[in-house]
Amino acid sequence: MQLKKLNTAFIITTGVSVVVFIYLVFLGYDEIKTLKDVIKIIASILFPIPMLFFVRFVLIEHFLPLNTDAYKLKHQKPATLLLLLTVVIGVVSMQLIEWLTGQKLENHLIFAHLINSTTLSSYVLNYILYNNLRVNGILSGVLLSLAIHVFFLTA
Amino acid sequence: MNPIVQPPKPRTNSNKRELLFTFQSIIVVALLAFTVIAFFLYKDLPIINGIKVIFAPFLSVVPLLFVLSILRDLRKGFKEGNYSKHEIIKFCLITVGITAAFTGVTYLLSEIKALEILLAAIMAILSTVFFLRSKIKDILGMSIITGIAEGIIVYMIFLF
Repeated sequence: MQLKKLNTAFIITTGVSVVVFIYLVFLGYDEIKTLKDVIKIIASILFPIPMLFFVRFVLIEHFLPLNTDAYKLKHQKPATLLLLLTVVIGVVSMQLIEWLTGQKLENHLIFAHLINSTTLSSYVLNYILYNNLRVNGILSGVLLSLAIHVFFLTA
Repeated sequence: MNPIVQPPKPRTNSNKRELLFTFQSIIVVALLAFTVIAFFLYKDLPIINGIKVIFAPFLSVVPLLFVLSILRDLRKGFKEGNYSKHEIIKFCLITVGITAAFTGVTYLLSEIKALEILLAAIMAILSTVFFLRSKIKDILGMSIITGIAEGIIVYMIFLF
């Protein structure tokens, strides 16, 4: 049962990110005029993968394959707090950066793609290999705040 | 309990590292192919001399095969245990350096005006990757390959 819940959460978070990605492409559809824009989007999606492999290569020993109930109980609360905190911090900082620089994120979609793909790849890596619940909370928070920002807070 | 990937049969860490290294070199090869296609399509590179296109790869492949056949393995292979903090910092710095260098190399590639020269240059880089893959199986090879991949991507995103 617990396993099923975890799987559902994982699929939902991945789904959110995919929807964000499709929405970003849709949002920037007018700007995809040349082959160059397509190349940039593909490159920004591929960006995190070699880095993740390298990190995994170096840190192969720090491995937590067991996601026991005791471990979950111990980390449930901090992970949830971190999730909420990261959502708030993420949304606020994105608004602040937009306000400070006077530019919209939707005019620089490459950065949105970069944030999205990097977070998603680290999320999948963390989920499959490390099961670190606190990291899980932070990364879910980043993904959610990006989604909230892109869907609801941009005019 | 691992929901997506079944707990793998006990494998040694050096096996895992070798697998990651292989994946990384496949990614680099794919990225280099992507670079050629991108530059070729975007810049409408002319094929000045047809016969040169056919012979361009041999320029670097033949020396590579020769070197691979006569040289012994330069490194002992992948390590079983942890890397020390000092080593991690050192190799991360190497990776960052190679990334910067390869951003520049990709810029130079984008300045090439004919397809056959571009092909020859890409084949030379590919040969280097294969050389690292087969003879320097180590964290040094891994950081160089990661640097090459990230350098190409950084150029494609921010400078292209």
